[in-house]
Amino acid sequence: MFRKALMTLGIVMLVAGPTVAAESVEKSPPPAPYKKVSELVKLPDFLPGMGTLYVDPTTLPDGPFLAYDRAGKLVSTIYMIPLKDVDGHKTIDDLKAPGGNVDHVSLYYNAGHPGVEVPHYHIVLWHVTKAQEKLVEK
Amino acid sequence: MLTRRAALGVGGGFLANVGSSNLVRASAAELIEIHMKSDPGGGVVGFDPVGVLLQPGQTVRWICDDNVHTATAYSPENDNHSLRIPTNAQPWASDFLLPKQTFEVTFTVEGIYDYFCAPHEEAGMVGRLIVGSAVGPGALPFDYYLTRGHQWKPVPPAAQRSFPTIEAILAQKTVRSTLNFSKMPVK
Repeated sequence: MFRKALMTLGIVMLVAGPTVAAESVEKSPPPAPYKKVSELVKLPDFLPGMGTLYVDPTTLPDGPFLAYDRAGKLVSTIYMIPLKDVDGHKTIDDLKAPGGNVDHVSLYYNAGHPGVEVPHYHIVLWHVTKAQEKLVEK
Repeated sequence: MLTRRAALGVGGGFLANVGSSNLVRASAAELIEIHMKSDPGGGVVGFDPVGVLLQPGQTVRWICDDNVHTATAYSPENDNHSLRIPTNAQPWASDFLLPKQTFEVTFTVEGIYDYFCAPHEEAGMVGRLIVGSAVGPGALPFDYYLTRGHQWKPVPPAAQRSFPTIEAILAQKTVRSTLNFSKMPVK
């Protein structure tokens, strides 16, 4: 009976684990060590097309960056991968993905911005549907 | 040389002379506007016009249209970049400019002034001004300093390719950007 209960608890924990982790960042502000990007470098609080970004500074430039809509809901997790790392065939491994379920993925080229001042790709894990991307459109 | 930063429609800001000990105020008619542009996704960035011929005493106003940019002189005083402005001119460096913010410099020393956008230099966002005559370090090859014992940062390859030629600026006076700042293609 005890073993069965323990196994059931284990299964519940396995299922619940990622969900609990996702819940901890699904509303802004996410917990430390995440910091608002606009307080780290000169960028507007809200970036059209991306939202309000948070990042653990020790993970720069790759991220993950957590992006929230104006209501504070997590909409995407973004990685910023310098082209020179891709051209240099660098292995980029074990990037954290705390945001939970991913609906679809987008890749955008970016010429650079404060914080990541080299050409790079934004790899965007959208946690909302394609139609809901408009939440961070402007 | 004078510099000033402000927000459009707000006024104010600061003004400083960084090329001569004498302040030179340029009239509105002499003002040159250079736009700092970007496509909506931040993939295509550039100054427009990218090259301008002006006369001593004229003021250049950089206007941030989109994205976040700087106007920063090529000078060892700016993060050890190589010197590509006249040796007796003071370098300038705007802070990051957000949309609708502006930055002004009044030029009093003749010569070539190469400048860059700090977050976009690697992507080739640079510009060139010729004040009066095409003289000074900006007229030299990009690697001229190597034989003079300097260990400055080189101009990135994409930036080297983006400068308009001296001949084009002298002939056209204003060299417009050929970049397409509309949305990037989607696969």
